[in-house]
Amino acid sequence: MSEIIVPTDLWDDDSLGVISTWLFEDGDAVSQGDIVAEVMNEKISFDIAAPASGTLAIDVPTESEVSQGDAIGRILSA
Amino acid sequence: MADKTVTSTRKLTIAKSMAEAISQEMGRDESVLVMGEDIAKLGGVFGNTGGLLDAYGPERVRDTPISETGFIGAAVGMAAAGMRPIVELMFVDFFGVCMDAIYNLAAKQSYFSGGRVACPMVLMTSVGGGYGDAGQHSQCLYATFAHLPGMKVVIPSNAYDAKGLMLAAIRDPNPVIFMYHKALQGMGWLGTVPGSIVPVPQEDYEVPIGAARVVREGSDVSLVGLGATLHHCLDAAASADNDGISAEVIDLRTIAPLDRATVIASARKTGRLIAVDDDYMTCGVAGEVIASVCESGTKLKAPPIRIAHPDIPIPFSPAMEHFVLPNQDKVKAAIKSVMEAAR
Repeated sequence: MSEIIVPTDLWDDDSLGVISTWLFEDGDAVSQGDIVAEVMNEKISFDIAAPASGTLAIDVPTESEVSQGDAIGRILSA
Repeated sequence: MADKTVTSTRKLTIAKSMAEAISQEMGRDESVLVMGEDIAKLGGVFGNTGGLLDAYGPERVRDTPISETGFIGAAVGMAAAGMRPIVELMFVDFFGVCMDAIYNLAAKQSYFSGGRVACPMVLMTSVGGGYGDAGQHSQCLYATFAHLPGMKVVIPSNAYDAKGLMLAAIRDPNPVIFMYHKALQGMGWLGTVPGSIVPVPQEDYEVPIGAARVVREGSDVSLVGLGATLHHCLDAAASADNDGISAEVIDLRTIAPLDRATVIASARKTGRLIAVDDDYMTCGVAGEVIASVCESGTKLKAPPIRIAHPDIPIPFSPAMEHFVLPNQDKVKAAIKSVMEAAR
């Protein structure tokens, strides 16, 4: 199992971002490197890639606020 | 590289699907280039040109000075010389300074040259309000462009259509105005409409320009929308279903040339017609849809209804703006009205 973490180097301060969209459904099969979500901070959109191949588990829904370093989902072993 | 065997459910925002279409066509056809304000380094203020500069470099992906008159005029010349420029008018509201290049030059190039000089350019431009950006950054102006002959005008309601329409637009020998609605771009700060973020194939495909699509079949009333209002229609149709009313929903997808046949066929079937348009009402697309059905001789069971923005500048105050914009509740009220009129 791999956690999907919002990287800690996306923006410069400790302000919050928001998950603007998940690009796969919970339970979908995804490949390592697939862009699974977009997170927005100050009108800039950042891609979040799957850290591994497997089954996507979404833990933090669209429109939720997130901090850098937060886990927003998991990739379960296929 | 990642295993790419399981991406069939990959969804994209309209922003990303536009960028993917442009990137794929730039890879296939080296005459395609992109110009506009903040389209290169920033990737477009609405996210629709992301990654292009890195992939194709500054010769083919050009940030321009803030002079729409200059770079859109240049695009018309480039198209005459055999290139396929894609230019961005960041907000359609800014058309005033560059309209001569658009409607007097681009739109007429083929006609004035007896068909010898085509104008294969795409002008992409953001439309629509709903996020408090006031009267000079929130307009749609569908009818303003659709009224002028010599150009095609399209607007996708979802990411699948956006990619297919963009590929068709770039390959079209005529100037195509590619409008995209800010509320549907999938940019969080503009609001997100989940129905616009749909699975998009990796491969090359076109959505034909000039073809509307019946996105939901029904038998009691025809709802005709485009861009953002298509989603108001779908929401209202789902709600009507709970009341035992079967609503058919049509996505125009192309504003010019208008697919009158699809709308007329639907109205002939249901006998009731509601057209929903977030541009100004008078002389607008909704009125054109209704006129087309009336001219066809289709007998309606109730007077048709158009829902559009009233003929005033779009207000800044969110309370006032949302009062005048079309929404799901206004469509629901119109459905109730045409169903009761039929009794």
